[in-house]
Amino acid sequence: MTMPALTLATDAATISPLALFLQADIVVKGVMAGLLLASIWTWAIIIGFGVSLGRARKGCAKFENDFWQTEDIDRFYETRAKSDLPSAKVMAAGVAEWRRSTAAKTIDRDGTRDRLATAMSSASAAEIDRLSDRLNILATIGSVAPFVGLFGTVWGIMRAFTSIAAEQNSSLAVVAPGIAEALFATAIGLFAAIPAVIAYNRFSHGINRLEARLNRFADAFYATLSRELEAPR
Amino acid sequence: MERTEKIGLGVATAGHVLLFGLLSTGFLATPNPLKLNSPPMDVSLVDEIDLKSTAPQISTTPPPPSVAPETGETAEPAPSIAAPSEPVVAPPPPAPRPAPKPAPATKPVERAAPKPPAPKPAPAKAKPAKPAPPVEKTKAAPAKEKAKPAPPKPAAATGKGKADKPRGSQLGPDFLKGINTEAPRAAAPVAPAASSVGPRQKAALDAEIRRQLKPHWKAPTGADAEQLRTVVAVELTQSGALAGAPEVVETTGTTASNRAQVKLHQELAVKAVRLAAPFKLPPDLYDGWKSLRISFDKRLSQ
Repeated sequence: MTMPALTLATDAATISPLALFLQADIVVKGVMAGLLLASIWTWAIIIGFGVSLGRARKGCAKFENDFWQTEDIDRFYETRAKSDLPSAKVMAAGVAEWRRSTAAKTIDRDGTRDRLATAMSSASAAEIDRLSDRLNILATIGSVAPFVGLFGTVWGIMRAFTSIAAEQNSSLAVVAPGIAEALFATAIGLFAAIPAVIAYNRFSHGINRLEARLNRFADAFYATLSRELEAPR
Repeated sequence: MERTEKIGLGVATAGHVLLFGLLSTGFLATPNPLKLNSPPMDVSLVDEIDLKSTAPQISTTPPPPSVAPETGETAEPAPSIAAPSEPVVAPPPPAPRPAPKPAPATKPVERAAPKPPAPKPAPAKAKPAKPAPPVEKTKAAPAKEKAKPAPPKPAAATGKGKADKPRGSQLGPDFLKGINTEAPRAAAPVAPAASSVGPRQKAALDAEIRRQLKPHWKAPTGADAEQLRTVVAVELTQSGALAGAPEVVETTGTTASNRAQVKLHQELAVKAVRLAAPFKLPPDLYDGWKSLRISFDKRLSQ
């Protein structure tokens, strides 16, 4: 245990993460590996989520634009409602409910309105739920990773102190490697947590905006359908 | 898992591997300029230090100490022959001369006395005159001389001379002369030796004194206690023992937070000197460590 510590002390100027990882205690190693996986997962979510959220936002904007410009909603529904855009899902839910409600001979207008509103809001909520499924992972990593890293650091520093006691020498060469590898755990924790927190805030804001947009679209569509209900047949 | 998430996972993994590899190869390593400026220095920690004066003049003065012992040994064979003849023939004329010569003759007897083979040389050498001197020696009283009137009388005259001389005579008659002549000589060689306590000798002495003090010095701990520095004046005798109590000269580095530690610091410093005494230091450099001013601080205990 002494020898690698001494060799590290000689070329401590170059901090190799691999060397720090290999010298660490088994507990600190576990913490580091876990945090590294958390970091990879965080970035996987960030990239995937960013791509899907951006795609959904752009797709919704284009979809709604096209929707309001079309003349025949039924034909538009046949061609475009099969896409998995949130707006398309909301529209599909509204149209499906509309068709089901107006298929009967007598139409309960109030009941139809209620059902339309419920169907579309539930469709929009389902889409938001589906999209924001991974956000809680970001929130968890962002809040927990620093503590996990801190745990690794505390453990590593405790170990460094025991090595001081064992060698009965408090010189920097004995203390420094242990503390450096211990602090590396906190560094990885922050490395994982900071992007996770930033991405969580950014994406929850994006999700909120998308939800508001979906709700506006649903309301507008509901208004259109409601107007249609009142039209004499 | 959706396609976008798979893409994200792949990109994230690749990015982490890339970052890890860059850090491992020292991409962001801070170059250490100090490393280049200070080449490594070999330091060996040793307990024993050879404290040898390099002054050349010291080696040119061997004769004075060798005078006294030589006379004692070389005188032995001569008197063993002369002693029996001379006390009989020549007691009266010169008083000082006979005195020294029998004196060495008594020496073998004295030396031989404790040993078992002592009787052998005694009868062989000094059957005529020897019985008397041992009696005088052992008892050394004038009353005994009177009890044995006839034979000791001539010897008594010489015996009285012997009575006060045996002690000095063991070293030979030249001893006093040697001392008298040595006195000025001895003073002369010491002077160059003293002046030859150069910076190197001084440094070696300091290191040696510090080495001997170190096990006894324990710096007090506390807030700012490491800034305290107590200077103690110590007078030493030639044997390395303390000549008088060590005195605290001053304590520097006093701040508001370590003011309470000052007294303890001084006491511990004096205690360290007392415990470390007697110091084992080279006597030929005595002028270099006769009076010392030792400063105690945190560094000394490390």
